[in-house]
Amino acid sequence: MKSKKSAKSGLNIIIVGCGKVGSTLTEQLCREGHDITVIDRNYDKIQALSNLYDIMGVVGNGASYSTQMEAGIKEADLIIAVTNSDELNLLCCTMAKQVGRCAAIARVRTPDYSNEVSYLRKRLGLAMIINPELETANVAARILSMPTALEVNSFAHGQAEITKFKIPEGNVLNGMTVAALGKNIVAKSVAANILICAVERGGEVFIPSGNFQFSQGDIVSFVSSRKNAKTFFESIGFKTNQVRDTMIIGGGRAAFYLAKQLLAMGIQVKIIENDRTRCETLSVLLPQAIIINGDGTDEELLREEGIQYTEAFVPLTGIDEENILLTLHARQVSGAKVITKINRITFKDVISQLELGSVVYPRYITSEAIIAYVRAKKNSMDSNIETLYHLFDSRVEAIEFRVDEESGVTNIPLMELSLKKNLLISFINRDGRIIIPTGQDCIRVGDTVMIVTTHTGFHDILDILEK
Amino acid sequence: MNSSIIRYILGHVLKIEGILMLSPCAVALLYGETAGFYYLGVAVLCFVLGLLMTLRRPASQVFYMKEGCAATALSWIFLSVFGCLPFWLSREIPSFTDALFETVSGFTTTGASILSDVEALSHCALFWRSFTHWIGGMGVLVFLLAIIPMSGGSHINLMRAESPGPSVGKLVPKIKSTARILYLIYLGMTVLEIIFLLAGRMPLFDAVCTSFGTAGTGGFGIKNDSMMSYSPYLQWVVTIFMILFGINFNAYYFMLFRNFKKALRIEEVRHYLLIILASTAVIFVGLVRSSLHTADSLRHAAFQVASIITTTGFSTADFDTWSQTAKTILVLLMFIGACAGSTGGGIKVSRVVVLFKTIGKELNSYIHPKSIRKVKMEGKPVEHEVVRAINVYFVTFTLLFCVSVFLISFEGRDLVTNFTAVAATINNIGPGLSLVGPTQNFGLFHIFTKYVLIFDMLAGRLELFPLLTLFHPTLWKDLFTKRAK
Repeated sequence: MKSKKSAKSGLNIIIVGCGKVGSTLTEQLCREGHDITVIDRNYDKIQALSNLYDIMGVVGNGASYSTQMEAGIKEADLIIAVTNSDELNLLCCTMAKQVGRCAAIARVRTPDYSNEVSYLRKRLGLAMIINPELETANVAARILSMPTALEVNSFAHGQAEITKFKIPEGNVLNGMTVAALGKNIVAKSVAANILICAVERGGEVFIPSGNFQFSQGDIVSFVSSRKNAKTFFESIGFKTNQVRDTMIIGGGRAAFYLAKQLLAMGIQVKIIENDRTRCETLSVLLPQAIIINGDGTDEELLREEGIQYTEAFVPLTGIDEENILLTLHARQVSGAKVITKINRITFKDVISQLELGSVVYPRYITSEAIIAYVRAKKNSMDSNIETLYHLFDSRVEAIEFRVDEESGVTNIPLMELSLKKNLLISFINRDGRIIIPTGQDCIRVGDTVMIVTTHTGFHDILDILEK
Repeated sequence: MNSSIIRYILGHVLKIEGILMLSPCAVALLYGETAGFYYLGVAVLCFVLGLLMTLRRPASQVFYMKEGCAATALSWIFLSVFGCLPFWLSREIPSFTDALFETVSGFTTTGASILSDVEALSHCALFWRSFTHWIGGMGVLVFLLAIIPMSGGSHINLMRAESPGPSVGKLVPKIKSTARILYLIYLGMTVLEIIFLLAGRMPLFDAVCTSFGTAGTGGFGIKNDSMMSYSPYLQWVVTIFMILFGINFNAYYFMLFRNFKKALRIEEVRHYLLIILASTAVIFVGLVRSSLHTADSLRHAAFQVASIITTTGFSTADFDTWSQTAKTILVLLMFIGACAGSTGGGIKVSRVVVLFKTIGKELNSYIHPKSIRKVKMEGKPVEHEVVRAINVYFVTFTLLFCVSVFLISFEGRDLVTNFTAVAATINNIGPGLSLVGPTQNFGLFHIFTKYVLIFDMLAGRLELFPLLTLFHPTLWKDLFTKRAK
């Protein structure tokens, strides 16, 4: 009786740990209608969360048998362990696998384990191991490889990317319509492979049509392959080379992961870290990087280390306010590409007003990854969504649908379909080939189709049609 | 303060009341009573008014503790005022105050009546009186949560304000499912009781009304002598069901999943059953000594104990004539009340248990001043916040009790009458002793006294604070002036 019900109304999910990621997850999964039970040792945290959201709270140690039983592990579909401690998370999941029949996701972030992730995952039978610092570093590295972009997300197993950029003052795009862009500026071959899918202006998000007019300050995201993105950027007058060197403030886990990736890409890395022992550890782990022992918020030190000449500047300290101030300072004294890491998500409106360049929210990145998994798991039961991403802070959804059978959308040219407003078919993945569709293209059985929309709650490809 | 969400909830409550009021109309149709038109009229009025109030959805569905409290308290006041209209309009209860008293007594599952001749009422009035018990027992807002789709999780504040007990938990993560499960258990047990009563040859109408009275732990009888004239079998059935409805509903939820061990291990339920057993035994011994038949004594003792501790208020004997010991025990049971999370009233067994354990802890700290010891329930430490809330609850309860006794003392009745009248209303029981004993009624009181008792009934049902917040000046100021940008 129970399992039948859950298939309809959502999954039974247990979240262990009500920290930053735990509470973000609770909020988002709750909104999607899942049955959520949270476990934490801290009574006040449980109390605060259950006052805000429609969830059940259990106070106790999430790895203990009795607490898990109390939280209903037997009926659970998924357990997500996101406490502070890697070991506790792994133990939670191991216990849960023994007691119940649920899938398990653990957060493991210590570099000690990061090389063994796939081994751990296989051995412990976990559905997913997430590492927020590593994910953050991945995102930052992707941005630094294409510094013009604010954000780069990859889809369809890396075949396509959604790239986000901001239109600067005096750019050719200023005042141009989407249709004119395709005709005049960009070379034909590239134009056919680029699709503008969403534009954010003054806090509002638009899905642009052909006569949409760009203006300065718009944040534009488009779908393309990586190569085409480069050509596109070049044709509208942006520099596209990856940065040559990067200055990282703070030598935490995220800094380590980022430095490692950047070094592998051939980018010079300079890390400024306050703690001497940590510096020594880093210098052992990253022999190619320049490790500076000093206060990263000291203006004099930054100048001495050449902040005004660096091509990229990434403050990764644990304090949001410091990160923000450092970014603002870097913008003032240099022309470097800046990436700001922000942990807490309060005062988002204020933050978005500031000129912070690319902003990464580790807790969003983490929860997005988990939510994409949950969606997929839920949808494997009752719909054919392959993946789901949130763009522009969940205001826009990008959904990949699998087309398994003939229906009202297949084999009809797209221009003849009556699609919902604020919706765009951004690409069709046919046998691993990415097609940016025109009005003449059709959807065929076997394709996966990426839809970008401001609507929410799509379950089937047929939902794109106007009813 | 989000006053539009309060309006919205009140509108829904009125709509539900309108729909529920159609059931006495059906009864009137069955018995061919013209009084049914009044019920139909008021039902339509409630529904239309509710519809108007819910026409515009509030911009923000978010609400906090204060909105939850205000919505709950106002809902119950609205419910009572509209619920009493048919009694008053049909002239079956000619005075508005009396009609309101009777309805509040119904919704709060008190069962204290101002009527001296119940049997003179029409069938539909009798049905509505008993039905109010059933609605009030589990709570109308819980019902609302079970059926109305609302977004956001802050609705736990509504449930918390309406459901009895020191800490309200959920059975399952979603509040909607929790509310549904509770109502299903409630409905199932009510139907079960009707079947058992029918098996004892009780007429259907009597069986339905009696079951409503038992399920809500209300206690409105449809006979002047309450349950005295029914057969011993029927009295035993009612006794057992009263006890069952006084048990924490979590226990039934566990039983549904065949987890009997866990159900019986609930500490509060064990204490509750123990108290019933002990009190029955003492009263039984007293009754046997004073020359009653053994079987009769046991039945009467058990029935009265069950009726008082669950705060139902049915009676099979005039316990006002019993020994002082028996009467004292019954008065004490009035205050203890049923389990938290049941339909009963009173202070609640779990609160009493925590209070006693706190005393034990305090005593311990005199012997070992530096010892650290936490009050435990079910083997788990009770959070300091909960203990504090229980202590404050007890103090407030006592204070409200004293003020009420003082206020009604102006009428010049004897202390036993005044004391038990307040005890019987604030604990949602019904009959008290002396002039408000089981064979008497509350009709003799002055209008002012009746309003004091009406307030006590509401305060007792909503567990004081949700109702008392209405007296906080900030709430009123917020309700009418402050609007979000």
